[in-house]
Amino acid sequence: MIDFALTITDTGWLTTFQDLGRRDAERLGVPSGGAADQHSAAVANLLVGNTRDAVLIESMGGELAFVPERDVLVAVTGAPSRVTVGGADVVQWSPVLVPAGAEMRISETPFGMRVYAAVAGALETERFLGSAAPDARMGFTQQIARGSRIVLRSWFAGFPGATFPQALFRLPVPVPTFPAGPWAIDAVLGPDSARIRGIRELIESSTYAVTDRSNHVGLRLNGPVLHPEGDDEIVSHGVPIGALEVPHADELIVLGRYRTLTAGYPIVGFATRTALARLGQAGPGRELRFRWVERSAAAHAAATAEESLRVLETSVHSAFDALAPARL
Amino acid sequence: MPILRETVTVEPYGDSAVMVSIPAPDAAARRCEIVAFRSRLLARRPHGVVDVVSGLESLLVSFDPLVTSFEHVEYAARLLAELPDSGTGAAQPARRFAIPVLFDAEAAPDLDEVAGELGLTADEAIERICRSQFSISLLAAAMAPMMDGLDTPRPVRRRAEPRTDVPAGSIMIAGVNAIIQPFPGPTGWRVVGRTPHTIVDIHRERPVSFDPGDLVRFTRIDRAGAARLDGAFLTEEGVS
Repeated sequence: MIDFALTITDTGWLTTFQDLGRRDAERLGVPSGGAADQHSAAVANLLVGNTRDAVLIESMGGELAFVPERDVLVAVTGAPSRVTVGGADVVQWSPVLVPAGAEMRISETPFGMRVYAAVAGALETERFLGSAAPDARMGFTQQIARGSRIVLRSWFAGFPGATFPQALFRLPVPVPTFPAGPWAIDAVLGPDSARIRGIRELIESSTYAVTDRSNHVGLRLNGPVLHPEGDDEIVSHGVPIGALEVPHADELIVLGRYRTLTAGYPIVGFATRTALARLGQAGPGRELRFRWVERSAAAHAAATAEESLRVLETSVHSAFDALAPARL
Repeated sequence: MPILRETVTVEPYGDSAVMVSIPAPDAAARRCEIVAFRSRLLARRPHGVVDVVSGLESLLVSFDPLVTSFEHVEYAARLLAELPDSGTGAAQPARRFAIPVLFDAEAAPDLDEVAGELGLTADEAIERICRSQFSISLLAAAMAPMMDGLDTPRPVRRRAEPRTDVPAGSIMIAGVNAIIQPFPGPTGWRVVGRTPHTIVDIHRERPVSFDPGDLVRFTRIDRAGAARLDGAFLTEEGVS
C-alpha cells in the first residue's frame, strides 16, 4: 500500500467525493444521501476491485480530468461520456489503466447527469456519520476543486503479465441503457392513489418532463396530475426515496436521496428500488413514463440487479487473479 | 397480567419500506405510543430493518428487500407492539428552551398571508405563536426540531408550491406544528420568523442541544437583539 496524489486538472459543475450514503442516519434526521445513481457507483468500484461502498468521485456536467502521480486503475461509469487517457479514447464501464503523469479526461454527455470515477484503492477524505457522501444542507460539501490534489492509498502497480499495457477486459458488466426518448420508470402504487380517482390511469398514460427546478432533493416533473378532494392536512410522516408526491401545485415530485425526510403531501406511488438509479441520471428536459408494477415484481428486479453485481464482483476477481497485478 | 396494547397498523410503503401507525382515536395517544414503538423497534432491530424515519403519528421503517419482505417486517412489528412494557428506558426530564425570533417582513415572508387565512392581524398571529407551548416530537430532516403545540384558531395550510431556498433559522409552521430550518434549504411549510441562533452544528460532538420531549417557546426580538446573538449555538441557557 502506498499513498500518492491525483491532481484534479478539471472539474464538472459539481464534482464531489461520493459513496453509497449513510447507514442508519435517517433516525437522527439525516438523509442517507449518497450517489444518485447507486448502480453506476457500485459498478465503478467493483470494476477496479474495490468494495462497492468505497469512496469514489461523482461529477455532474462539464469535464472532469485528473493526472495521477503513479499508475492507477480507474473505471468510469454513469452517463455515457467520452473518456480519454492521454488524448486516446478508452472505454467506459471497464477497468482502465491511467499511467503516471497521463491525464484522464471525461467529457460531458447529453444523455445523463452524473459520471462516476472509481480508482483502485482508498481515496482519503472526511466523513460525516461514517460516510464520505456530501450533505450540502448540513454544510458537508465534499466538493473537489480544480487544481486540488486528492490522496489515494493504492495497492495497484500495473499488470506485468498483460500483453498490452492497457489490458482488455471482457466482463459481465450490467450497463444500463440511456435511450434518447422517454425513460420507463417502474413504480408501485402508493397509499393515496386510491383516494385520488383516476390518478393511477392518468400517471400511467402520461409523459412527464423533468424541470430545471429539480435537484438531489427531488425531481420536479411537468405533466398532468389530479388532487384529492377536500383539503385535509396530512399529518407529517416519513417519506422514502422515490416517493411520488402530488404537492398542492400541478406538478409531480419524485423524492431523491437528499429529500426532506418527512412530508405531508399525498403520495400516489413509489419508484422501485431498481428504477432509482435511472432517476438519478434524469436531467432537465428528460421525459419519463411511469409503469405500475407489483411489489413482488419490484423485489424480483432488485434481486436480479443484486445478482448481476455479485456476478461482476466474482468475474473481476477472477480476471485480476489471472492478470496477476503487481501489488504495492 | 400486563395490558396488551392495540395492535399496530402496518402498510406497505413502496418496495422496501412499511409505514407503522397506532390506530387510537386520540391524537395524543397515537403520538405518544408511536414514540414508544420506535424505541422498541430500535432496541430490537428486526432482521433486515435498516433505518427508521419518525413522523408525528407514524414510523417509516425501511428494510432491505434482499433479506426480508413486507410480510416479515409486518409480523415483527406486530410482535413488538404486543410485547409487555419492560419498564426500561425511563424518559429524561424535559428541558426548556426560550428561542428568540425575528418576526419582521424579511424574516417572515409568509406571516401576513397566514394571519389573513386565520382571520388575524400579523401582530395577533405573532402573539399566538409566542404563547404556544411547543414540545419537540422528533428530529426531522437535518436534525431539525419538529414541534407540536401551535395555538392558532385552526391548523395552518402548507404552501401551494414549496419554497426551494429558505434561510437557516427560519421558523416554519404547518398544521399544529412548528419546525426550525437548521440549514438553508427547501420547504413546503409557511415561513413566519427566524431565529439568529445556530440550531445544528455538525462540527460539535453533539450537533444539537435538544432531544425529543423538550419544551420550546418563541420570544419576539428586534434587529438589534438579533445582531447581539449573531449565530450563537442554541443552548438551554438564558431561559427566562
